[in-house]
Amino acid sequence: MRPKNMKNLTVKTQLLLALVLAATLFLTPAAFAATPGITSAGGAAGTFNLTAQDAYLNQPDGEAVYSWGYGCATSATAATFLPAGMTGASCNTMQVPGPTLIVTEGQAITINLTNNLPTAAGNTSILFPGFNVSTSCTGSTPAGQQGLLTCEATPGATVTYTFTASAPGTHPYYSGTQGDLQIEMGLYGAVVVLPANVPANCNAGYHALNVTAQAAWGEHDFRLSAAAYDHPSSCYDREYLFQWAEMDSRIHRQAQAQVAAKAGCTAGTMGCSLEVQTEPYHPAYFLINGRSMPDLMDPNYASEYPHQPYNGNPHMHPGDLTLIRTIGQGRWEHPFHEHANHVRILARDGNLVLSSNTTPVSYTSGLTGDTAVPAQGLAGLLMFNTDTTPGEAFDGIFYYTGRGLNWDAFGHHPSTTGIPGDPNGDPYKDPLATLSCTPDVNGYNSGVPAAVNFMEWCQDHNKPVQVAPFGDVAGGGPATFPDPNVFTNGQWYSGTPYFGPDANLRAGTPACAGNPYGTANPPNANCTNLQPSNVQANPANERGWAFMWHSHNEREITTNNVFPGGMLMMMLVDSREFVIDESQ
Amino acid sequence: MRKPNSVWLEIVLSCRYGKVAPVCLLVGLICIGALPAAAQSFRVQCPPMTITHPMTGSNCSGNPTADGCNNTEPAYKGPTQFATGPSQYVVPTAGTANGAIKCQQISGGDGYMTEADGTQTFMFSFGPLSGLADVAAGHPSTQFPYIFNTPYPGTLTRGDPATTDGAASGASPGAGLPPLSPFTWNGAVGLAREITSIETVSNIVEGPVAAPATVPGCPTASATTVTAWTDSPLGIPVGSPVVISSATNEEGTTTPAGYAGPWTISCVATGTAMSPDGFNEYAFQYVAATPGLASDTGNDLAAVAASPNAFDGHVDPRPIMDIGVMNGNIPAPLAAFDEDDEFFLTLTNVGMIMRPDLFEQHTVHFHGYPNASSFYDGVPDASIAINIGASFTYYYLAPDAGTYFWHCHITPPEHLQMGMVGQLHVRPRQDRVPQGGSLYTYLGYQNGIGLPSGTVADLRTECNPGRDILCSATMPAINTGATEGMDLLGNTQRYTYNDGDGSTAYDVEYPIQMHGFDPNFHFVGMTFNPELFVDMKDKYFLLNGRSYPDTVAAGPQATVTSDGQLHYSQPLPAIINIPVGGKALLRLVNLSVTEYHTLQSVGVPMKEVGFMAKLLRDQVGNNTEFYTNSITLGGGESLDVILDASDAGCSGFMGTGCANKLYPAGSTFYVYTPQLDHLSNDAENFGGMMTEVHICNSVSGGNTFGNTCN
Repeated sequence: MRPKNMKNLTVKTQLLLALVLAATLFLTPAAFAATPGITSAGGAAGTFNLTAQDAYLNQPDGEAVYSWGYGCATSATAATFLPAGMTGASCNTMQVPGPTLIVTEGQAITINLTNNLPTAAGNTSILFPGFNVSTSCTGSTPAGQQGLLTCEATPGATVTYTFTASAPGTHPYYSGTQGDLQIEMGLYGAVVVLPANVPANCNAGYHALNVTAQAAWGEHDFRLSAAAYDHPSSCYDREYLFQWAEMDSRIHRQAQAQVAAKAGCTAGTMGCSLEVQTEPYHPAYFLINGRSMPDLMDPNYASEYPHQPYNGNPHMHPGDLTLIRTIGQGRWEHPFHEHANHVRILARDGNLVLSSNTTPVSYTSGLTGDTAVPAQGLAGLLMFNTDTTPGEAFDGIFYYTGRGLNWDAFGHHPSTTGIPGDPNGDPYKDPLATLSCTPDVNGYNSGVPAAVNFMEWCQDHNKPVQVAPFGDVAGGGPATFPDPNVFTNGQWYSGTPYFGPDANLRAGTPACAGNPYGTANPPNANCTNLQPSNVQANPANERGWAFMWHSHNEREITTNNVFPGGMLMMMLVDSREFVIDESQ
Repeated sequence: MRKPNSVWLEIVLSCRYGKVAPVCLLVGLICIGALPAAAQSFRVQCPPMTITHPMTGSNCSGNPTADGCNNTEPAYKGPTQFATGPSQYVVPTAGTANGAIKCQQISGGDGYMTEADGTQTFMFSFGPLSGLADVAAGHPSTQFPYIFNTPYPGTLTRGDPATTDGAASGASPGAGLPPLSPFTWNGAVGLAREITSIETVSNIVEGPVAAPATVPGCPTASATTVTAWTDSPLGIPVGSPVVISSATNEEGTTTPAGYAGPWTISCVATGTAMSPDGFNEYAFQYVAATPGLASDTGNDLAAVAASPNAFDGHVDPRPIMDIGVMNGNIPAPLAAFDEDDEFFLTLTNVGMIMRPDLFEQHTVHFHGYPNASSFYDGVPDASIAINIGASFTYYYLAPDAGTYFWHCHITPPEHLQMGMVGQLHVRPRQDRVPQGGSLYTYLGYQNGIGLPSGTVADLRTECNPGRDILCSATMPAINTGATEGMDLLGNTQRYTYNDGDGSTAYDVEYPIQMHGFDPNFHFVGMTFNPELFVDMKDKYFLLNGRSYPDTVAAGPQATVTSDGQLHYSQPLPAIINIPVGGKALLRLVNLSVTEYHTLQSVGVPMKEVGFMAKLLRDQVGNNTEFYTNSITLGGGESLDVILDASDAGCSGFMGTGCANKLYPAGSTFYVYTPQLDHLSNDAENFGGMMTEVHICNSVSGGNTFGNTCN
């Protein structure tokens, strides 16, 4: 019986390995996210010459789905890209989502949209909800037409939309023409308006220390701004934009077939239009930024996805205030579950959610030298599932510190010499094993920005995750691990419970031979020293803590009936040793 | 499959612990071959003390619920005070530690449940392996260590507690109201005492050792020093207890009087010791009570020495399998504990009997936990997943108060749809404020305001909105002067959150899980076919795993599974009993895999006080709670509403005394989904997501499910 078990286990392991390897092929290492976009396309800052065209979107099951999208009308490199230093930044003539338009509060914005969709697709347009838009319908030949909701570009025509970026925040833009079909086909994108003024506290306290820490490790700052709004509670250290939409490829196939059948028809004539049924709706693809897992986590502007330039691959360091810009671009709601912490909703559709009480809150880190900035308090919800609603955008702040775990995530252990930070206090002379932790006014180790354990939660410093080894748990705790043979490792599992490359290396080295947590335990106390099954997803120089960010209507984390896929990405909290390079 | 595994496990354990040396010799090769996977085993853990909760009580074994024994919740007198100890980590100052230790054990496997139309549905599911009586009674199965670590006094029977309770076959629902006698035990299934060291004593002598015997490394024996020689090292260090038992050898010689009993090892001989009969052996010493004991030498069996039997995480796999297999519950066993508690949740994967082709791991994801650790987050991709035939213990210090939930995170669209979803909530510190204490003052203590002299804030519990954007228990804008008192049931007043103003107080508490089952998916899942996700469509709409009218049937609902045995498959009803003029906290969660659900209260208004485990309060301290009659939740979301049958819910438009007119005792109201197609049980155009609210003259028998409406 047992040999059979072993055989089956082996087979299973091999299957897993095969799957892992298969998945690995799709994964390119060191892909990150930021909020890439353009500040202009073919003109001065704030001028965007866009086109609506058709192309194919790549999905992880190998499908190339016929779609429509917005893109840059001029050459791919004529646009101005942010953040600076993005590798391979380009703006194709068609992309889903459309180019992210990055503008500044108060700026005058001009969008010239040319309809290069197949003639049978008819008119198209763009709506900019939340902005007071002026349109010019007749500036070109052929001329545009005034539609029900806005000015529409007839096939081949160019129309102009102008507005002032009146308030900061994240907004959608999408087609205002036959939306049930055109938005489904991919005609949507985002406008990010940066605040004109950044509150002083956003460049002080932890935020200033974070910049120092980045400099110490050679990490580039990929933020578009230091604040999301003109409000001292909207400071952030890192940002990501996620646009959620689903796709029913049957609709796309109908559109493709009819476009082909009606090729060469004359715009506006009888029969030169599409009769695509958009109901009943059975989406099999669930997209974030136009991609599905695992493609989603490949780099921005990856050449494999010429029409899906934006990824979803969030990373952060402990304590980074991370701005999550989210837009519901499909027709369904999706409960976006952020593992690891809550999200504070700052704003809906660019409107800060503030308290009705006018008593100001003093916003400050509380650190010496950080002057408090008083402002009206936030009233946005705290959510671990942030609903993405069709047509609605929200901005939220997330962070991760590991506060209250009650064990030292870094795997520090008491120095045997009694002197914190003494390299001789570790049996293997690893100075990082015995680092000190000095709590600031909030309990974090913020005084040493260049240290690996910058922003460590000091109350748990040196506390072991297990005191008593396997099979001997009468006392002690917090917990005792099973033998590594009884569990299965995940692709992103770093190989130990600990955080960061050094802690993992330390736990996997001969340090295991003598349990570092005291002499009461026998030698060879369990060190859970299995190596991760996939060194690419969470490589040896990273060993971050991975958390799943996904739709909790779990059916949607599949791609065409296959799990994993769809609306799913892994968020990694990384130790300071690991440089988060968001140029990709 | 089961038995050979168990036998193999026993052998391996025996080898590891040297219990049955001849067996080890005989099957030495097998032992060697098996050792790398030796931990293919079930385990459970519930330490009675930890770094954070040291045992400061003086007689915890005799009086387990005394202060300092971690088996009760101490009153909240202020934040826990810490000092850095010699170990270089912070430890609580004696007498200030808040909270206690809580443990729970669950099985991961499969089972059947009974739908309201009588259909039996196959599930992948969790089942209780601790707190069996509490689960059956509709209560959380989370236990204090002294309860958890109590082994079952007899032999558990398959299907227990339903079997012992004599649950009725086919009844839907099953047995009547609690207390469900005779099954009242709440310990951990499988818990077994273990002897880790045991050796035959070849010679035993009291007093000075005479040549040729030697005991190298030990001092000259006094008159009461006992020296015992063994063939192999005993392996118990100096200062540790040893138990000497009498033994009778082939010739009928019995260990002389005075040696047997529990003792403490005073010395272990270094290296080889010479026995009185001239063999190179090992030796240890202890001090006996009286001098002058007769020696027992030269016959190879003088006595038996062993470590005391103790609970050290070892379990007997047989009761685990007997109880755990086919024991799926929907919802999964309820977990509930208090802020500042340490929680040990052991997941034991018993395998899925109906799907022997699957080697499914299972995990527990603590959904919504703030600052979760990746390791204990239960996401198999990011951590580890536990294989069949083994256990894993999840550990967390309780997060901030609130309504969370838990589920398996293996292939979530499959395992959640198949039923691996449970409820979990954390009760606030404010429940533990001493009688008469000002809620505002005590919330101040948590937030580092107005602390008792000589104490400092615990930064872990502090909420300072100007500094921390993710905290919600900020000081209320208005000090209402509310003090800790009694609720309508005569118990200490309880609250949903640390509100500081009493705004989240309740009299009775009902966790309610919204879920949906797609019978096609479950059938496909039972019949070895690949499941498709795109057209998943729920046809059964469940509140606590039942559809109307089963939601309003008291007691646990039992289902006969493929093992021919009745199991309590759906322990929780959804009956909401409210004392007249009272407030019922509904901890609502939606674990549907496919859709948003709306729940509407007809009659009694809902006061929404919490959302996704956070108090509804803005950063300035205004309560942003609101009255409503319906709520909507997506999959993976939770909120707290108080069904408010007190004057507070109606006096605004009807004046004082309105509650007695609107919600008089004896009246019944309904809570149901206004998504009218969800008021069905598959083909039955009736039922679905609906339950009843009863207004009672009084409520007795507890403040949650299983209580009685008088």
